[in-house]
Amino acid sequence: MNGFRRLGDIARLLLLAGAAALLIQNAAADEPNEYQIKAVFLFNFSRFVEWPSAVFQTPTDPFVIGIVGADPFGARLDEAVRNERVGDHPILVHRLQPGEELTHCQLLFVDRSQTGQLAQLLAATRGRPILTVSELEGAAERGVMVQFVTEDRKIRLRINERSAHAAGLTISSKLLRLADIVNNGQGD
Amino acid sequence: VTVPSISVRRKLRRMLFLATGTALMITTGAFCTLEILTFRSSSIGQLKTLSEAIASNSTGSLAFQNAEDASSVLSAFKADRHIVAAALYNAQGELFAAYPNGSGASVVPKHPGDAGYAFSSHALVGFQPVVDGNQRLGTLYVESDLGAMYARLELYALIVALVIGVSVPLIYLLSRHLQREILRPIAALGSAARAVSEQHDFSVRAQPTGAMEFDLFTDTFNQMLAEVQSSQVKLRDQLSRLNLLQQITRATGERQDLQSIFQVVLASLEDNLPIDFGCFLIHDPQARSLTVSGLGIAGQKFAKKLELSDGTNVPIDANGLSRCVAGQLVYEPDLRGVPFPFPQRLAGAELNSLVIAPLLVENQVFGVLVSARRRDNAFSSGECEFLRQLSEHIALASHQAGLYSALQQAYDDLRQSQNAVLQQERLRALGQMASGIAHDINNAISPVSLYTESLLEREPNLSERARGYLTTIQRAIEDVARTVARMREFYRERQEQLTLGRVEVNRAIRQVTELTRPRWSDQPQQRGLMINLEMDLAEAVPDVMGAENEIRDALTNLVFNAVDAMPSGGTLSVRARREARENAEDRAVIEVSDTGVGMDDDTRRQCLEPFSTTKGERGTGLGLAMVYGMVQRHSAEIEIESAVGIGTTIRLSFPAHTASLVSTPQAAHAGVVVRRLRILLVDDDPVLIKSLQDTLEEDGHVVTATHGGQAGIEAFSSAHQKLERFDVVISDLGMPNIDGRKVAAAVKELSSQTPIILLTGWGQRMIAENETPANIDKVLSKPPRLHELRAALTELVG
Repeated sequence: MNGFRRLGDIARLLLLAGAAALLIQNAAADEPNEYQIKAVFLFNFSRFVEWPSAVFQTPTDPFVIGIVGADPFGARLDEAVRNERVGDHPILVHRLQPGEELTHCQLLFVDRSQTGQLAQLLAATRGRPILTVSELEGAAERGVMVQFVTEDRKIRLRINERSAHAAGLTISSKLLRLADIVNNGQGD
Repeated sequence: VTVPSISVRRKLRRMLFLATGTALMITTGAFCTLEILTFRSSSIGQLKTLSEAIASNSTGSLAFQNAEDASSVLSAFKADRHIVAAALYNAQGELFAAYPNGSGASVVPKHPGDAGYAFSSHALVGFQPVVDGNQRLGTLYVESDLGAMYARLELYALIVALVIGVSVPLIYLLSRHLQREILRPIAALGSAARAVSEQHDFSVRAQPTGAMEFDLFTDTFNQMLAEVQSSQVKLRDQLSRLNLLQQITRATGERQDLQSIFQVVLASLEDNLPIDFGCFLIHDPQARSLTVSGLGIAGQKFAKKLELSDGTNVPIDANGLSRCVAGQLVYEPDLRGVPFPFPQRLAGAELNSLVIAPLLVENQVFGVLVSARRRDNAFSSGECEFLRQLSEHIALASHQAGLYSALQQAYDDLRQSQNAVLQQERLRALGQMASGIAHDINNAISPVSLYTESLLEREPNLSERARGYLTTIQRAIEDVARTVARMREFYRERQEQLTLGRVEVNRAIRQVTELTRPRWSDQPQQRGLMINLEMDLAEAVPDVMGAENEIRDALTNLVFNAVDAMPSGGTLSVRARREARENAEDRAVIEVSDTGVGMDDDTRRQCLEPFSTTKGERGTGLGLAMVYGMVQRHSAEIEIESAVGIGTTIRLSFPAHTASLVSTPQAAHAGVVVRRLRILLVDDDPVLIKSLQDTLEEDGHVVTATHGGQAGIEAFSSAHQKLERFDVVISDLGMPNIDGRKVAAAVKELSSQTPIILLTGWGQRMIAENETPANIDKVLSKPPRLHELRAALTELVG
């Protein structure tokens, strides 16, 4: 009788192990892509940063997210902001052609590919209420307001508050608390 | 079915306890519930506020998927020790961070539930959406243990326990006080009721307590008691009146005369009903008046004021008395307002209420019972009814008493007349015998008398000695004649009618003492005894009107009784005197006393009744009865004083005859008849004839003597035919065959003018009673006296 019961227990263990393996595989498959997260982050910045009201001429002017350089997001960003609004303003994702005017953007993502043009870009946006975001190494120190840092499979933020402040943007303390603050560079 | 008896005290206490306890419970329960509800909602509120704050703080962590930050945000829950678990879920519903740190899915739910807060069995659990603007960033899960609530509940339990702990003794004290308040009237009522039932004292009253409901109850109870009491009093009164009625009825039943019935009734009423004044009035329908006949003893003082006494006449008023006499019971509650004389009279004596009850016998009111009291309105209807019933009983008893006394009277009369007849019969026989003896003696002594008288008259030459002897003989003969006459008088037949005449008391007494001398003097002396006669006859004794013979008989009886009462001698006293009385005529009093054996009370009481004798066979028991009969017929009075061993005095008292004494004219002494008469003498006794003839012839008359009636008639008729008529006929009355009456009738038939003188042993009686028979001109008694004969002859033919 004992032997028979043990046989049942073993069967049950095998069954459980099989189920667990299946679950792990699924979880790996569903793991969000880095840029998927970053797309959401981009959108989320619109909530934790306050732009001066003068940015928009009309209440229905779109909130423009501009992407400079190669687009790492693909459709993920469009997906993330679909049907979303900032206040009453619809969100528009605009991939900038080289040399295209930046000033109508409210948020500007600078791709890795633009390492060389970074100083130029920063000069162009300086003093304007445009939140600059980049994943370039040391971007924050160089004056980019928000820098993505991927550490240990986690995306961390570095924020140059001075730059933002100089641009007339107010970054929420909730966002500041999550980020590493960098206060140097050409903020002033 | 018995109801289980629980003391009202316990019930009340239980009631108060239950009522106040329930109220207390409801109050504390409501308070606790409300508090708990308030506490729950406030707990939810607090948790919500806290959660909202945390949620708001965690927006950044969620938005930028910073788990460490989320954990640090959640660690803010440390500030509240009741928060046992918390978690953050991202927008996709995946667990993002948990509190306390490191606690995994085992403590918090894997996935967020619906937003909102709810109590589970052991905790307060809430899901708080984490929102930034419009965007749902995730969900915050919070779990708070119920320690605070339990602590609160404990506090409440403590408060409730405290409240109950304080209030129960308070309730107990209050309920005791209140219950006493409530029970006091009940206890008072109860004790009153117990007093009533145990002591049967219905005068107890429950005291009013001041509580309205109870006072109503108490009043009702008291009313009930009052009613019971009054009906008990009524009952008791009724009973006592019934007793009184029975007592009076019994008492009256034992009495046979009206007066004592009235007295016993009045005494009972005065003592027991009671009344202040009571009297009986006897009704006289002819005179339309009432006569007082019986007054109560206690009512005497009123009687004086009322001027009522036995025999007082009370005229019948228009109002009360007349109604009562008509047979109605009359009740006057207040006499001061009654304007009639009798009520006014009573009111004047301070008697203010009056009941007059009629005494009805066979629909005739023969009297009324008057009861009065000082107070006005003093007679209850029960008492009126009692007096009515009483009056019926009295009427009946009176009626019976009347019947009884009538019967007794009839019986006594019958017995007396029977005795009288017996006595009369005896006396008649004796009288006849005595008459015969008297006749013979008179006849026998007639010659002696005639010759002696003749000798003394006509023989002047008699020697002194002879004259002396003759005189003695004449006196002796006269004595004999008087004795015989007295005897005859005494024993003569009784007449039906009492012939009253003037009687000299002293003479009658002397006659009796003389006549009875053998009994009180001779016979005792023969036995060697001595009876002294003491006579005390006052000169002033008035004459009385009566039958002398009856009076003499009575006195004789008294003397005989006195002698018989002194078997060993003594003194016989006979006294007579005049007794003056106020407002009445004087009386002649005769007393016969002895110093004999006397009588005891019983004997004295019965001695007047016929056939009561102490003399055994020697007496008839008629003596004193005859005396009593005489006394009654003469309107006299009899008193008997007697003491055993001392003697007896019997006193007769006659009304004095006041008319002046008229002396009968004494016939003038007639001398010798001058004229010579032819006399026919008829008698059956030759010696008498001879002596009469001799003496008449000596007077010069021509006397023809015949022997017997027949011979006399023949002699007269032959002489008549020869025209040698007799001038006068002297005949004896008692003769064989033809008696003096027949001779007289025959003579008168032949010659109606010829006078006839009858000689008789009964002559004196005839003279006394004016019984001169028909045809007889003159009656002379034997023995004839010469001077009487001469007077008669002179009267008739001279």
